[in-house]
Amino acid sequence: MPNLRALIQGEFIRLNKYNLFAANFVVLLFWVFLVWFLEGDVLRQFIPVIFLMDSVMMTILLVGATLFYEKKEHTINSVMVTPVTENEYLLSKILVNALNSLITVAFISLAVYLIKGVTYNYWLLVPAVLLVTVVHTLIGIRLSYSAKDFTSLLINYMIYVFVFVLPPVFAQFGLIDASVARFFILLPPEASSILIASGFADVELWKILFSYGYLTLLSMLMYWFSVKPMFNEYMMKEMGV
Amino acid sequence: MIKVNNLRYKYQKSKDYTVNGIDFQINEGEIFGFLGPSGAGKSTTQKVLIKLLRGFEGEIEYQGKPLNSYDDQFYQDIGVSFEMPISFSKLTALENLEFFQRLYKKTVDLAPLLKRVGLWDDRHKKAGEYSKGMKIRLNFIRALINDPMFLFLDEPTNGVDPANSRIMKDMILEFKQKGGTVFLTSHIMGDVDELCDRVAFIAEGKLREEGSPRDLKLKYGRRTVTMEYRENGELHTRIFTMEEIKSPAFFKLLQEKEIETLHSGETTLEEIFIKVTGVKLRA
Repeated sequence: MPNLRALIQGEFIRLNKYNLFAANFVVLLFWVFLVWFLEGDVLRQFIPVIFLMDSVMMTILLVGATLFYEKKEHTINSVMVTPVTENEYLLSKILVNALNSLITVAFISLAVYLIKGVTYNYWLLVPAVLLVTVVHTLIGIRLSYSAKDFTSLLINYMIYVFVFVLPPVFAQFGLIDASVARFFILLPPEASSILIASGFADVELWKILFSYGYLTLLSMLMYWFSVKPMFNEYMMKEMGV
Repeated sequence: MIKVNNLRYKYQKSKDYTVNGIDFQINEGEIFGFLGPSGAGKSTTQKVLIKLLRGFEGEIEYQGKPLNSYDDQFYQDIGVSFEMPISFSKLTALENLEFFQRLYKKTVDLAPLLKRVGLWDDRHKKAGEYSKGMKIRLNFIRALINDPMFLFLDEPTNGVDPANSRIMKDMILEFKQKGGTVFLTSHIMGDVDELCDRVAFIAEGKLREEGSPRDLKLKYGRRTVTMEYRENGELHTRIFTMEEIKSPAFFKLLQEKEIETLHSGETTLEEIFIKVTGVKLRA
């Protein structure tokens, strides 16, 4: 993968130049602002939500925005006539988002420690955030490639939120029966929530292990059977096929 | 260097083949022009040759080996300039080029190239703020940054002002003089006539004619000389065959009349194209 480093470097430069870093930073400041006003148990329940929102929702939006610009400017054509392979290209998107999530973890954790003196299990949180980001980068790529424009990307995003994020929330409020809710661990955001929560509270071991296995398998299956074929299809469309 | 045998390509949504059984060869160190109107199959052929379109029928050999046997390292050797200006709009021209430079093993110094095409002073300007002509020049430079052996140029001077077009054409000729090979698609006949060693005409997916511009002109042109002269204030026109220009009558007119114009009857590539294909280049 000789071009991976150059691709990642280029991706970070573009995130900066296209103001996507700035947008992400504003969101981080907003989280810190909210943290300022929270205390005790409420705060400890709120911090995992920040990491979940960032590694699920922000990841999808960020990768969606970068791919939207690439689509708009047809730059993928130029990249694909260089020695860059498809795997390098897709992997660079995943790694950039993973690094971005690590920056978020570092920034929020430092802010939370400095403002409130709160710490948690970083050894469990970091791998969880990384895996959740990888899965949701792939989901973001998949949603982007099946969207015609940014509006349809946002619609795809909203559908994802309604179908995969809201049901576990409804279950928490007792709006969905527990016999149904126990299968929600199969929803990627719920499995993600379990993994991230393990850094803050006691979670049943089987749930952690299942979520790791499930999201790892899902990432691999998505990469080979959904994202890569979609990427090829997208490239063909770019070529006028 | 490239040998194409019975190449056929059909887009998924299309009933007909866009490229329908074409054969040609591009020799090392030559500029090969591929001419045709919009939709004739020129760009499709180029995209197949640069491995962007898969699933073609027929055989393509590059340096004696099947094109499909090459991996992405194939792109270390080639430079591609698309017809459409492509760049990251919010990056400067220099940032754009530096990004692509990092993807190659071998690269060239950007400064002389940018200075040559008149973009050096604007190198820190965002590519999105460039005019169309500047973007096309940037595209052209992008194709040269890896010091390629083979250039694929799709309408390289389309939309570029005459002065910069001249510079780009000189650079293409210099590239050839250094041993480079060029596959050039264009509908600008002047450029093709000036640059190409050999040309092929494509229309409706088929190759209709192939040869050097000179040979084609000799084959399809009129072997005549047209003379315009004034006599008693009136303009007269006389047409001589190539054999007749050796005659005393021709020399007599030259010596005695006030000659205004003298033209050989060789035809243009555009006229030959229309004659051969029955299709106009600019539909």
